[in-house]
Amino acid sequence: MSDNTTATQPAGVRHYSSLGSRVFDTLNIILLGGLALITVLPLFYVLAGSFATEGEISARPFFLWPEKFVTSTYEYIFANDTLLRSLLTTIVVTAVGTVVQVLLTFSMAYPLAKRYLPGRTLVLNLVIFTLVFGGGIVPTYLVVRDLGLLDSYWALILPLAINPFYLIIVKSFFQELPQALEEAARIDGCNEMGVFFKIVLPLSKPIIATFSLFYAVAIWNDYMSPLLYINDNSKWTLQVLVRQLTSPDAANAIGALDSAVFFPQQGLKFAVVVIATLPILCFYPFLQKHFAKGVLIGSVKE
Amino acid sequence: MATDLAPPATKAARKAEKGRRPGRVPVRTALLRYRWLYLMLIPGLLYFVLFKYLPMYGLSIAFQDFVPFLGYSDSPWVGLKHFENLFTGPDFGRLLFNTLFLALLTALFVFPAPIIVALLLNELRVSVFKRYVQSLIYIPHFLSWTIVFSLTYLLFSVDFGVVASWIHSLSGGGPKVDYMAQPEWFRPLVILQLLWKTSGWGTIIYLAALAGVDPNLYEAARMDGAGRWRQFWHVTLPAIRPTIVVMAILTSGNLLDQSFEQIWLLTNSLNRSVADVFDTFVYYVGVTQGGYSYATAVGLFKGVAGVVLIFGSNWLAKRLGQRGLF
Amino acid sequence: MSAARRRLLAGLLTLTTAAAVSACSGGGDEAEGDSSTLSMMVPLFGTAPDPKGEIQTAVEKLIGKKLNITWVPNAEYNEKTNVTLASDALPDVMVIQDNKGPSFVKAAEAGAFWDLTDKLDKYPNLKPKSEQTWINSKTNAKNYGIYRVRPLLRSAIVIRKDWLEKLDLEMPKTTDDLYKIAKAFTEKDPDGNGKKDTYGMILPKWPGTTFSASSPYNVMDVWFGAPNNYGMRDGKLVPEFDVPEFWEAQKYIKKFIDEGLVNPDWATLDTAKWNDPFIQGKGGIIIDVNVRAGQLFDGFKELDAETYDEKVAMAGNLSRPDGKKFSYPFTGFNGIIAVSKQHVRTEAQLDEVLKVLDKLASKEGSILVSNGIEGRNFKVEDGFAVKINDQDPQMKVINNDVEKAFIQLGMTSSVGVPGGAYEWMRPSQAEKDWLKQRDELMNLDLQTAVHDPSLPVISQTAVEKGATLNPIVTDARIKYLAGELTEEQFKAEIKRWYDSGGTQILTELQEGISKVGG
Repeated sequence: MSDNTTATQPAGVRHYSSLGSRVFDTLNIILLGGLALITVLPLFYVLAGSFATEGEISARPFFLWPEKFVTSTYEYIFANDTLLRSLLTTIVVTAVGTVVQVLLTFSMAYPLAKRYLPGRTLVLNLVIFTLVFGGGIVPTYLVVRDLGLLDSYWALILPLAINPFYLIIVKSFFQELPQALEEAARIDGCNEMGVFFKIVLPLSKPIIATFSLFYAVAIWNDYMSPLLYINDNSKWTLQVLVRQLTSPDAANAIGALDSAVFFPQQGLKFAVVVIATLPILCFYPFLQKHFAKGVLIGSVKE
Repeated sequence: MATDLAPPATKAARKAEKGRRPGRVPVRTALLRYRWLYLMLIPGLLYFVLFKYLPMYGLSIAFQDFVPFLGYSDSPWVGLKHFENLFTGPDFGRLLFNTLFLALLTALFVFPAPIIVALLLNELRVSVFKRYVQSLIYIPHFLSWTIVFSLTYLLFSVDFGVVASWIHSLSGGGPKVDYMAQPEWFRPLVILQLLWKTSGWGTIIYLAALAGVDPNLYEAARMDGAGRWRQFWHVTLPAIRPTIVVMAILTSGNLLDQSFEQIWLLTNSLNRSVADVFDTFVYYVGVTQGGYSYATAVGLFKGVAGVVLIFGSNWLAKRLGQRGLF
Repeated sequence: MSAARRRLLAGLLTLTTAAAVSACSGGGDEAEGDSSTLSMMVPLFGTAPDPKGEIQTAVEKLIGKKLNITWVPNAEYNEKTNVTLASDALPDVMVIQDNKGPSFVKAAEAGAFWDLTDKLDKYPNLKPKSEQTWINSKTNAKNYGIYRVRPLLRSAIVIRKDWLEKLDLEMPKTTDDLYKIAKAFTEKDPDGNGKKDTYGMILPKWPGTTFSASSPYNVMDVWFGAPNNYGMRDGKLVPEFDVPEFWEAQKYIKKFIDEGLVNPDWATLDTAKWNDPFIQGKGGIIIDVNVRAGQLFDGFKELDAETYDEKVAMAGNLSRPDGKKFSYPFTGFNGIIAVSKQHVRTEAQLDEVLKVLDKLASKEGSILVSNGIEGRNFKVEDGFAVKINDQDPQMKVINNDVEKAFIQLGMTSSVGVPGGAYEWMRPSQAEKDWLKQRDELMNLDLQTAVHDPSLPVISQTAVEKGATLNPIVTDARIKYLAGELTEEQFKAEIKRWYDSGGTQILTELQEGISKVGG
């Protein structure tokens, strides 16, 4: 086979020198750069707005740097420890939840990827059915209540433990994995579970990274579960707070304007978006590392 | 031998499975032989039974006038009333058309976008730049529709929209176009918003698939004299084809679901005729009627359509020689 | 499916359901609330108060009971209300935001909540102070709760004061005056920048689909003498949009739009951004609730603390060209506080709960939930409340607990209706004048208020066909104003409304109104 230096290079980096190739590269850089720009400009506005006064947000339609730089919205948000506490709660729930969910999803996907397993099609059909049909909010709430999970952090994790959509994608990824190593391990006396933990999971790092990200973000962004299942306000997660400040609220609609209430201000909205997005953004580069290391699969010798 | 460049991994997998596929075996033998696999299946099955199938009785309220306080046993049964209202209501034709039209546009423009972006990213040779672009374009996923809507308004408002006035001055004056109000601009705006919000995030799954490609394959292709285009065509594309197929089949099931908040925020009196879809109509019914039962009836209808679409596209994928979902 | 597979499935199912059943048996029996604790469900606008915080402790001391409050974020309050109704774990006392909504009405009619129609007279603070609001808050002739008071008349016109003065114009008294002001604001360069870049009135997008939405359009309809939502004409109930006065109003509004006296994005402007053109100096008139003037004061203050008090003026409802005046009122309440029957079973227990609520609605109670603790977080000056040390972290906590949470339990006091509590002091003279003027205008316009007689009645047809019926006339009006429909086409849409169920709604409402009024 080929020499080791190429094998350890990321898949995307290859060398070409033809003219057409260079033209393509230039166009590609411009195109993707432009794409990044149109996603990032409005976000800069959100960031800038979070540091601007309410008056300025009303007075200037669009800006990337506030005329008067203030941190009052952030001071307001961090004035009491509620936000920090909910941030901490969210981080812990997200971390634990992601591990549980990835483990459950991957361990169910593995047997489903084995075409020779009797009963597999039936289970798959059952799973696909839940992609499009669901009992609804109220019956799910009743199940959670009857399991005694109300006011427990597990209520934020277990009802969403396996996303059928992800399950099927993971299953498909497993089907593409080379069988040679699994065979070898079996011959060495490993049972299927051993093969899964010792061979398959280590081989699936890019996929694990991907779905960890998906699950983590799903838990992170979930505001409905804490709202329905958690009555104890001290256990609320960050998104409940975010949602409260950014939802298209009836409070601002005509007539419903309730003078007894202070409205979520624009600047505050923006600041909350920034706070709720930053931590999960920091998570991504760690995973990105694994995407680049996808070459592991290639180490299997035929 | 350019045509024979499918990833060996896949071929090996197929061969291995073919070799091990047994005939009919007695249950006890199967349970015994695959006990570890079944054991691994149990926690997941338990989850599906508890949190997905146990609450399914909730679907029965499509045939009731459900009152939350009375619950499932005491709410009055009304038979097919809600389905009759749905199918014979004066809005049904329009709702179905709008929903299907948006679904079609989504399938045509929104679904392929992340694939294209992922492939372009994959061809980038400056890896620092690649990393930056990659991290930036998925951020919109984290913004709520409310924020996306405010940004849209900021750009397209006829009064102060940045983009709107830009287009206006470029096109040389004339009357200003109100993009937010005119029915013909409603669908393009919905698609633009979707593209902006979801394309970057959607690339992740394809990038993960691309990361799994064996670099030796490119090496081998190059030795065979394949240029960049042919490497793309014969190595890169086949490598993510299974992922594309699976994603296509799965998303087809939810094609009739539109994001309620997105549509609702963009709707106004002037564009409602094209904006109303099942998901927003269910909301309006909910406001006046409580609407749990009606919403469930619509959900059932969409679910049946979704099942047909999933199994239909799965069948189609297999006919076209792809692996499909199972 | 083969027999083997079927048996396999059966085995798995037995296994999992067994696990499910054994897991289920634990839950179910909720602890019975003892009578020294009162459980409540209340909407929340900020962070939840600490149950051991100063305000909650003070409230508990006042009412002589422990409180167990479930705070629910406002945006999802109705969702949570429905789940709570379905879960048969109702709190003793619940704030109901939408007391005309079907899930509450059906629950109340099925006996989930106490009917308080004849029960409040012996509680001095709960006894309704406004007969009109008491009627407005009824659900089919019954009161299933105590209304949370709001000003009964809040409609007003906010105008750029500096523009008026620059162009040497008077405050409007009639609809014609307002038109002239809007015209001048558009054409006479009120900001003096030499460019014709301003417009008179700022109109926002229509909220939702209901025709009667307290929008500026509804207010203007009423000014011209049209009914507020529904009204009696010659002993027959007619809708707002089917009287000659309505068409007068439409011609008036259409003139604003056709002549470019309103914001070009009037059909789409997000209500959350309604203030922006006013503050940016693009438009100079807003017709809405009077408290919007306070918001605008605050907005200008952040831009320029020196001149902000010179920019906002407020006028009340206007009289139509022939000098007759009709004013647009509001409902006078925002949701109700209902008592559930689940734990409060006997009349004696109900009496105990109502006594608690009576204390909460008293002067001391109102001050506690709307202002806080006198001498701790606020003091009283000239009859106004003034914050003490509001930068102190502890005070911030108290103020948050009051303004974002406990104020939701206020039944007899609110901004504009001080009841027993105090209005907050405003710093500038202009704002103090504005507060005084606001109260005067409210009392003055209340005399010419046109109330909506259909409020206490629920029409079954409107419930069942509302989603289809509501947008018909609402959208037709906007399209007519935008010039997309002719008057004939608009009238055809009104006829379509009648034919698709409108006629039936009118019959049902008229029947219900005669019962309530009788």
